[in-house]
Amino acid sequence: MGFDLDFAIATLPLILRALDMTLLVAVTSCIGAAAIGFNLEILRRAGGAFGLVVRFFIDFIRATPILVWLYCLYFILPFYGVRLSALTVGIAGLSLYYSGYLAEVFKAGIDAIPKGQAEAAQALGIGRRDTVIFVIAPQMLRNIAAPMGNYFVSILKATPYLAVLAVPEMLGEAFDIASDTYRYAEPLTVAGITFLALALIISRGVKWLEDRLATSSAR
Amino acid sequence: MDQSDKDTVVRIDALQKWYGAFHVLKDISLTVPRGARIVICGPSGSGKSSLIRCVNGLEAYQQGTIDLEGVRLGENAAQTTLARRKTGMVFQSFNLFPHLTVLANCTLALRRVSGMARGEADELASQYLEKVRIPEQAHKYPGQLSGGQQQRVAIARALCMNPRLMLFDEPTSALDPEMIKEVLDVITGLAKDGMTMLCVTHEMGFAREVADEVVFMDHGSIVEKAPPDQFFSQPCHPRAREFLNTLLH
Repeated sequence: MGFDLDFAIATLPLILRALDMTLLVAVTSCIGAAAIGFNLEILRRAGGAFGLVVRFFIDFIRATPILVWLYCLYFILPFYGVRLSALTVGIAGLSLYYSGYLAEVFKAGIDAIPKGQAEAAQALGIGRRDTVIFVIAPQMLRNIAAPMGNYFVSILKATPYLAVLAVPEMLGEAFDIASDTYRYAEPLTVAGITFLALALIISRGVKWLEDRLATSSAR
Repeated sequence: MDQSDKDTVVRIDALQKWYGAFHVLKDISLTVPRGARIVICGPSGSGKSSLIRCVNGLEAYQQGTIDLEGVRLGENAAQTTLARRKTGMVFQSFNLFPHLTVLANCTLALRRVSGMARGEADELASQYLEKVRIPEQAHKYPGQLSGGQQQRVAIARALCMNPRLMLFDEPTSALDPEMIKEVLDVITGLAKDGMTMLCVTHEMGFAREVADEVVFMDHGSIVEKAPPDQFFSQPCHPRAREFLNTLLH
């Protein structure tokens, strides 16, 4: 059974029907992971006993398989009365899992900012929160646009894990077509190429952001 | 509060500071009257920078007290914030925010701390940029300016918050020689306007011209305190004499 191009093209619209689900999961998980990861890193920097707890949490996340997180959220939480939809669990799982990695990226980005920046803000009487938002975060972003973009691509590539929760994303859709028709090569190839195209778009976007951040200060 | 307290901007009393086992400030007492221009000098590692960084709460200290216009630093968070607001700080390495324009560097604290509206903040900042003689650079980024220009922006940024006391931590040490004068001229201008200042510097010509008191520190202590004429012509302490000799050669 050879590769049938016409069949492949015929599967494209079916697979692209799930594109919005893949994008919804990927985009919300990127935002979720970045928001949680940034807060984890800020809490860790505050130090003390609480900082140690956060440090442990970050290491714990990074040392466990993502499927463990998805299964735990989906099958264990209901025993404690928390019943979440498969989609919510999927987004929460990806967000939590990648927040640990992004926290590490943010750490490197903040470590690279000279200590004098926070001191200057402090000397001007600018509070901790405003210092983080207006002085630290923008400079951090410029330092880490590339590695952060890599993790955004990773999150996109991790969306097929949601198949285990029966969330209808692109790879799951492709697999359904394969199961129905017994033709695997075409739908899986189409899904793979679609992921490649999305990943390339994200990388271009990150490159654009990087250039923009670099020229805006022109140092 | 009696009359003498009203005329005192900073009162440092029996200040002690350690970095671990290293005793960096030893029993420092110094009173800065309103309008005073005090230059702090001494060999590197003598504790000069630590001292002025304590005055605005950037560094913690272990014993003694610092009062800024009667408000005690380090008593509690609210008091410390109140006291710190009375000071403006200029750093050796400028520490401008590289991602913000010159104008935004000056207005950030006005807007976030003083809650000023954008138009009002921009106008006030422009006035101070004019005062440091670089109004035309307002929309450039710090990386596009020379070191001397950056340091003048840093001075304008500090002035925007209307400080009662300006702290200068070796403001010209990171500058190329041809830019030192433009920065010292601005500081001299401030002094003529009556600004109270504590300035750590090795610029002895500037100290002689502007200071009304020179404080010489060595090994964490104030070893000599004198008007510049006296300090430069006949320093009492042998270590001060030694220090001045090394500067001359």
